[in-house]
Formats: sequence, structure tokens, C-alpha cells
Amino acid sequence: MKLISIKKIALSLVCFLVFSVLSVQAENALDNIEKNKVIRIGIPTDYPPYGFVGTDLQPQGLDVEMAQYIADKMKVRVELIPVISANRIPYLQTKKADLIISTLGKTPEREKVLDFSIAYAPFFQGVFAPKTTTIKSFSDLVGKSVAVTRGAMEDQELSKLTPPGVNMKRFEDNNATIAAFVSGQTDAVGMGGAVAVNIIKQNPKLGAEYKLLIKNSPCFIGIAKGEEELRLKVNAIINEAKKSGEIDKLSKKWLARSAGELPD
Amino acid sequence: MDNAIYSGRDVVEFSIWDVLRNLLLAARWTVALSLITFAAGGLVAIILVLIRNRTDRWGKHVVVLYVQLFQGTPLLMQLFLAYFGLSALGFQISAWGAASLALTLYCSAFLSEIWHGCIQAVSKGQWEASACLALNWAEQMRYIILPQAIKLAIPPTVGFMVQAVKATALASVIGFIELTKAGTMIANATFKPFMVFSIIGVLYFCLCYPISRYARSLERKMNVR
Repeated sequence: MKLISIKKIALSLVCFLVFSVLSVQAENALDNIEKNKVIRIGIPTDYPPYGFVGTDLQPQGLDVEMAQYIADKMKVRVELIPVISANRIPYLQTKKADLIISTLGKTPEREKVLDFSIAYAPFFQGVFAPKTTTIKSFSDLVGKSVAVTRGAMEDQELSKLTPPGVNMKRFEDNNATIAAFVSGQTDAVGMGGAVAVNIIKQNPKLGAEYKLLIKNSPCFIGIAKGEEELRLKVNAIINEAKKSGEIDKLSKKWLARSAGELPD
Repeated sequence: MDNAIYSGRDVVEFSIWDVLRNLLLAARWTVALSLITFAAGGLVAIILVLIRNRTDRWGKHVVVLYVQLFQGTPLLMQLFLAYFGLSALGFQISAWGAASLALTLYCSAFLSEIWHGCIQAVSKGQWEASACLALNWAEQMRYIILPQAIKLAIPPTVGFMVQAVKATALASVIGFIELTKAGTMIANATFKPFMVFSIIGVLYFCLCYPISRYARSLERKMNVR
């Protein structure tokens, strides 16, 4: 044992690492997809009606069908990757996913690290609270606690909109945010409208209602920075789907409303 | 804004059986990941203990650094780096691979520290006496030190194993669908987080309690001898 020189081992490890990093070649994502006949798409599994599981634990929802639609149009197989708000951008950055279809809103901060397609579905975030709580403006939130999901759009936007003195409680995933609000740990919750309405319907005792609009922010598809060919391809598919009425059909099926005007 | 138009689709109806069945299926992965972690982590820990006891200054320093590194940083971060960090460096690693790797490293650091401590705890006189009997290092270990050290090692080792079973839940951050992750998915589809998480709690208890029980019987057996 004493003969093994740790120095030598360490040195060879470092050499191996450096070599492996250098040997990685930048490959075009679109070419890869077409070569492997598979597209890897990150989708939510905890965000009904955009992405949630059925009794067989298989994902379904608007985002999931959109992912399938894009794969069909590209004539490749789809590999669905369940992502959460906290890890969906790393999935793209490390090329573990080709696309992220996960109710992703467009913000200047995010545009620095990833590219966006044109919008594919409507979405809004609001503040919800029991009917007995008076919240008419963002300043009414002072002294109250608001549950939000860390890193989600409502977290960032609400922080900008509210005056100091609002007790923002940040949770790691939507599930914890919902549980906190439903169990009465917080006075209000900031979250996506479609999800909130479902929760209110499921928990009539809560007596919660829509209070304030945080932001109207349609969903975009996230693409790794610089994958221009893939982005144009996805945009072409969405444009075609808008014309053929497919986008409207998806929206009506899952959100019970038409897609309306979606920004580019 | 009119809420009625956002009513959307009705949520899927899960029966208690659906919830339980899915959670039990997901618990398989928790068990599998735990077993891999114990086996690989234990093996690496043995190697680390050997290096620490048998090599020069360098080996000791490296092992101590390794232990401090993995004990002193959050497991969540280690999992994140194992999955996304290695990917960023160009190594493609599956969620299985990354979860096993990170948990193995984490476990081996703790186990090697526990076991090293247990060997140290055997009094110096035992080493000296066995050396007087002309036993070499391997014989000293085999016949004198380890039988005493193992007795000391059982409670902390089992305590850590129970921790490790629960630590596998963190693997959900890299998209690994085990008991906790499946639970959050179901909780969000059913909007009944309390029912789902209560079941998850019971399942984790069912996994961990037998380990503790077995450890207690093992301790008793060894003390009788």
C-alpha cells in the first residue's frame, strides 16, 4: 500500500479530466436530434393542467401534449424528462434536455442564459387568498405572509411589485407551496391561475378566491443558448400549429379557454 | 379577470389504492438506491480506512480532506454537481449513475469516519499486547482489533444507514423518481398532500424500523458472546 503514490494518482486524474473536457465537441442540437431520432424534452409533473400524472404515474397535460406534438412534427421519438422550477434551466444549460416545455415565462434575466421560442400557450399568475382576507392592492399584503415557489416567475415578479414588509415564504416546489397555503401556514399564495383554480375547487373549505394579477405571462419553450437551428425549427412548428388551430385546440382542452393572442 | 374561464379540466381521480400502489412501486427505487449506496459506500469506506491506516502522511491527508469535503457540504449540492456539474464538464451521466455516485461518496465519507473512529477507540494496549505475540498487522486486525471495533461500530453504522435511506429522497432534485418524488407528483395531481405525505411517512418508517430492529438484535448477540 505504501508504494502507491497519491501524487501520481492525483496527477493522472487531473490529466484525464483536462483531456476529457478538451475532447468534448460542440455539436448542433438539431443534428443530434435527427441523428438519434429522439428529442429530450423537460416537462412539469407537478403543475396541473400543464403537466401532472395520471393514475399510472405517466405525465399528461398541455405541456406534455405540446412536447409530443413537436416530436411528431419532427418525426422523432420523444423522451420526457420531469423537471421542477429549480432544475429546469440547468437541464438546458448542461444539454441534458433539448427543449424545456414547462410553463416557462420570458424574462430579461432568463434571456441571458437561454433562448426562447415564440409563445405556445396562455398563462397568468395571481395572488389568491381566502374571501375573508381583504387584499385590494399590493400594499394590502404588508404584514401578511405569501407562499411562492422559489425561482418561479411569481417569486421574482411579486418581489418587485410588493412594498417592503411583505412576508414572502419561498418553497422549493409547487407542491410545498400549495400545501403551505392549503394548511393555512400562509395568508395568501402567489401562483399560476390554472393551478390555483383547481386547488380552490378541490378545497371548498378554504373559501379562497382570486385577488390580484401578478403578471400575464404566456408560456414559451426554452432552448439552450445558441441553438439557432433548433429554435427556428420549433418556431416553424408552433406557427404552423397556430394556423392549423392546434394551439387553440390544446388550450381549449386543458385550460377551457382559447389561446387568444400569443406574442412572438 | 374572469376565473370561470380558467376552470380547466377536472383533476384525475386517484383512489387510495392507486396512490398506495404507485408509492409502493416508487419505493422499489428508494430501496434499490439505498442498497447500492450501502454496498458501494461500504466498500469505498473500507478502502478509505485502509488507506488512512496503512499509507504515508499523504494518504492520510487525502482521506481526511475527502471526509471533510463530503461531510462539510450539503448532499443536495453534491447530487446537483454530480448530475449537472459532470455534464457541464462533458461527462454524460444518467440520473441513476449520478445519484449512485453522489450517495456512494457521501456514505463512504461518513462510514469511513465512523469505522476509523471505532478502530481508534480500541485501546492502544491491545495493539501493543498483540504485537508482543508477534502478530503482524493483518493478524492483529483480524483477531484482536476488529472483533472489538465491530461491536462498537454497529450502533453508529446503523444509525447512519437509516439516515442514508431518508437521504435518497434528495435524489429527486436530479429527476430521479423515488418515493418522495412520486409522492409530490401524486400530491399535485390529487391535491391531497396530507393523505399522500402521511402514506409516504409510513412507508419510510416501514423501511427504516426493521433496520434498527435488526441492529438491536445484532448488538445483543454480540454482547452475549
